[in-house]
Amino acid sequence: MSEFALHVATIAALYAMLALSLNLQAGFAGLINFGQIALFGCGTYGAALAFSHALGPLAGFALGLVLVVLVALLFARLGRNLGADYWGIATLSIGEILRTIATNEIDITGGAQGIGGIPALFDTGSPLSGRLILFAVVLAALIATWFAFRRLTQSKFGLSLRLLREEPQLAAAFGYDLDGLRRRIMLAAALPAALSGFLFAHYLTFVGPDQLFASETFVIWTMVVVGGLGSHAGAVIGAIVVQCLFALVPFAKDAFGLPSEFVAAMRLVLIGGGLIGFLLLRPQGLIPERIGGVRG
Amino acid sequence: MAETVLDARALRKSFGAHLVLDDVDLAVEAGSIVGLLGPNGSGKSTLLNVLTGFLAADGGQVSLRGSSVGALPPSSIARLGLVRTFQLPRMPSRMSVREVLLAANRAQGGLFDALVGRPTDTARTDDLLEQLKLAPVADQPASAISGGQKKLLSIAAALANRPSVLCLDEPTAGVHPSLREHIVAMLKRANAGGVTLLIVEHDMGFVRNLCRRCVVLDRGKLIADCPPRELTEHPRVVEAYLGRKVARPVVEVPA
Repeated sequence: MSEFALHVATIAALYAMLALSLNLQAGFAGLINFGQIALFGCGTYGAALAFSHALGPLAGFALGLVLVVLVALLFARLGRNLGADYWGIATLSIGEILRTIATNEIDITGGAQGIGGIPALFDTGSPLSGRLILFAVVLAALIATWFAFRRLTQSKFGLSLRLLREEPQLAAAFGYDLDGLRRRIMLAAALPAALSGFLFAHYLTFVGPDQLFASETFVIWTMVVVGGLGSHAGAVIGAIVVQCLFALVPFAKDAFGLPSEFVAAMRLVLIGGGLIGFLLLRPQGLIPERIGGVRG
Repeated sequence: MAETVLDARALRKSFGAHLVLDDVDLAVEAGSIVGLLGPNGSGKSTLLNVLTGFLAADGGQVSLRGSSVGALPPSSIARLGLVRTFQLPRMPSRMSVREVLLAANRAQGGLFDALVGRPTDTARTDDLLEQLKLAPVADQPASAISGGQKKLLSIAAALANRPSVLCLDEPTAGVHPSLREHIVAMLKRANAGGVTLLIVEHDMGFVRNLCRRCVVLDRGKLIADCPPRELTEHPRVVEAYLGRKVARPVVEVPA
């Protein structure tokens, strides 16, 4: 049971990093990214490709960073010519294109079978202590991300993000370079997303294209919307709430004697229902954004 | 004769078949206050949009202190010192009045400044809030204050940007007279501090009070360039606003 709790906590913390990253883009800067999972995928495939080429995890991390910087810059570049809603659709399609590439470039990515056997990062002899150390590392990465993002959004830079979100024309009139802002936010948000993917790959020891379905992006969206767009604490709490609900689904299945298809279907119901419920009844989320919090 | 700070030559802009700016030349001297007048739809706002890069001109040149800015995006033009306000100031609903003023001054607002935790100068913002009597609403959402206060805030924010030329689109339209005095005083102070002002305005009292030079647009053409007191005597201005004198009625009215 404690191993299961550790598993849920590790996955929740990894997703919380993804939620913080999406929240920085969508909640603060108004960049409605529907391809968030692609940034995560850069991290997972960085780790997997380094492993399949017999390179160490450090090389995998570096490869993940290179990939994510390229994808983030591509996202930001698209934003120059597209309105916010069209940009969202473009990011969704880029995410799908990257997943399709991962599925079909069998020689490089192992195709739909993915790449398995990626070693755990911390080999201490006993699997449990290795997983405990990994959880501590994930937790440290989550806290560092939270702290850094808080710094960003509590500063004048954070004000320029919110101006970009609310009144881009006013931001331009104040002299803010909107393309440059978009580029910086995408880069800042992409790094923890890739780090999350890298740690995820070494935790699960398997990387495959099924982890990059667009529905995973909407899992992250649900976390951010439930927690509260524009609130770091909200994003983290949203991730914990959604992952805990997911963890309870198998127990509910057993308790009510439901068929096993129920688990996968129930996950989708929770995401869809959670999104719609919160958008209709509590659009500000569990922890609403604070207005006027930046005083200099 | 002071040097020319803003120089527009042969500006042309049309929307479809409708010619909105027709070979407009305008040179603004450093330190002056120029009123830009004209009936509704004469092209005043379009001229401001073209000068500040928010609209691309179909032809002509704009230069700021001698260097061409015609092809630059609005944010770059603002950074070079040519700043504008909008006719209907739209203010963010999820930022406070204080946050908008803080954001208006870009100094030390970069990603790196944020990461190293460099503190920002808030004393000036607090002073400004006091001066403008916006201190009581400083922590309110900027979209929730009155229309007049929004105009005041948008002008103060533009000035916080330290412009060399400030283009104002109807700074006092729909503003309560007591706030209007604030705005006039603020603009006079800014001008005394060296900011050149180009003001689109309909209120003649305001124009006479502030401007020593007026240019008048009508149907995209510059039809007058004179001190405000001469405007009422200027035949083309009178015609633009009141219509042409005709010898007999164009339409016969049946008895």
